[in-house]
Amino acid sequence: MIILQLLVNGVALGAAYALVALGFVLVLNATSAVNFAQGDLVMAGGLLAVAAAPLLPLPGVLLLPVVMALMAGLGVLLALAAYMPLRRRPPVSVFISTIAVGIILQNGASVLFGPEPRAAPPLFSGGSLSLGGLVVAEQSLAIIAVAGLLIAAQGWLFARTQLGRRLRATAQDPEMARACGVPVTAMILATFALGTAYAGVAGLLLANQFFVAPTAGGDLILKAYIAVTIGGWGSVPGAVAGALVIALFEVGVSSVLSYPVALGALYVTLLLILVARPQGLFGEAARRRA
Amino acid sequence: MTALLRVEDLTAGYGGAVAVDGLSLALEAGEAVALLGANGAGKSTLLKAVLGLVPASRGRIWIGGEEATGLAVERRVRLGLGYVPEGRRVFPGMSVRDNLEVASPLGRAGRAADLDAVFALFPALEGKAAERAWRLSGGQQQMLAVGRALMGRPRLLLLDEPSLGLSPKLAGEVFAAVKAIAGTGTAVLVAEQSAARALGAARRAVLLRLGRVVHDGPADRLPDDALRDAFLGG
Repeated sequence: MIILQLLVNGVALGAAYALVALGFVLVLNATSAVNFAQGDLVMAGGLLAVAAAPLLPLPGVLLLPVVMALMAGLGVLLALAAYMPLRRRPPVSVFISTIAVGIILQNGASVLFGPEPRAAPPLFSGGSLSLGGLVVAEQSLAIIAVAGLLIAAQGWLFARTQLGRRLRATAQDPEMARACGVPVTAMILATFALGTAYAGVAGLLLANQFFVAPTAGGDLILKAYIAVTIGGWGSVPGAVAGALVIALFEVGVSSVLSYPVALGALYVTLLLILVARPQGLFGEAARRRA
Repeated sequence: MTALLRVEDLTAGYGGAVAVDGLSLALEAGEAVALLGANGAGKSTLLKAVLGLVPASRGRIWIGGEEATGLAVERRVRLGLGYVPEGRRVFPGMSVRDNLEVASPLGRAGRAADLDAVFALFPALEGKAAERAWRLSGGQQQMLAVGRALMGRPRLLLLDEPSLGLSPKLAGEVFAAVKAIAGTGTAVLVAEQSAARALGAARRAVLLRLGRVVHDGPADRLPDDALRDAFLGG
């Protein structure tokens, strides 16, 4: 029974991490730029939910579209300020500009909210469900449902719609996409909006059970980076799989041993995966930017 | 009559290197033109400059009577250009169907009709519609690249070395399709090193040398010495 309990908790955490990693990999694919602000954007989404909760006394699930919309707007601003002016420069320029955005977000959050961790409202209620001998936090189930829905919606958008085809074409070969009449600049802005909206959702989901503080972004970008490296650089399914692997260690291994041991084991596993499959678990897809 | 494409005194290149040097050219609607010349003559650069992939440092371009100089690539595509690049450059991780559909400006019904038309032109693609493009052979990828350009319903199709890397049989099939496209009234400007194939599909031949037009006339009355000079110098 305890294994089932850990599995639910692990999948819930992995689902939220998957949204962080998905946003990261979408921007990476569309622009070839590593967005080092992604972790701080998750933090910003969490604190946005914290700030919006007293103004809009709604359950978290109704706050979710508001956070998504505002964060999508922030994503467009991020693209316009930190990516578009530097897109013809060497990639290191965008690394630095997104690191700068992260520092600005972190310090801005410290000034506005103070350094203490805060909790965002739960999606539905903070209660638990008892299923046989299994006690599951409603928030965990809600996280799995919301993240699963968003990942499925993204899969549908990319596979079934003309917008998704244009986003994928832009990610695979922006110059050729332009030559096919695709408005590439609009697609890049849309990708930043989508990736940042995902960061906002992850922030709201994580900030209830795990709290959010202005310095949380560093840890989250590291996890996104590891998830994408495990899954295969640039692979969307790989990012989801990598996020679930991280959560498996953080919840499963740490419950048996300890959190520091679980982290050590995660890094050893990462190294072993890279030795066996340097391209990551979904490496072929990553090479072709599937 | 307004030319479909008019290029005046166009100069373009890469960094300080000039590849197209003060070139002027006009194409009428429905015309099929072979753009011939040796490696480095400026054929590919001319096509890219017309599309906007290489910026013009001097000169002007009109597409369908509308000035296109300085317009973004996607705006020129909307004015009626279709582009088949050298090396195909299909979207490798996307399916054949998605590669085609992404280039269409139309809604679902229009896309479906145009897909049928492309599959009629290239039956080999229909059975592979769900396959990722990287799995296709070189010839099939070339057909896909041509089909993708046609999905944009171009008035002028720009083809860059469509026979490059293909077996003679496949190159023949691709040029047969180019001839069929030209026969439907779509203008074609095909840059090609294989003069015989290009001349077989075109009614007019333009010879380039060092970025300039050195001969412009009917494809079936191209003087041998002009061709030899364009390729070998003289």
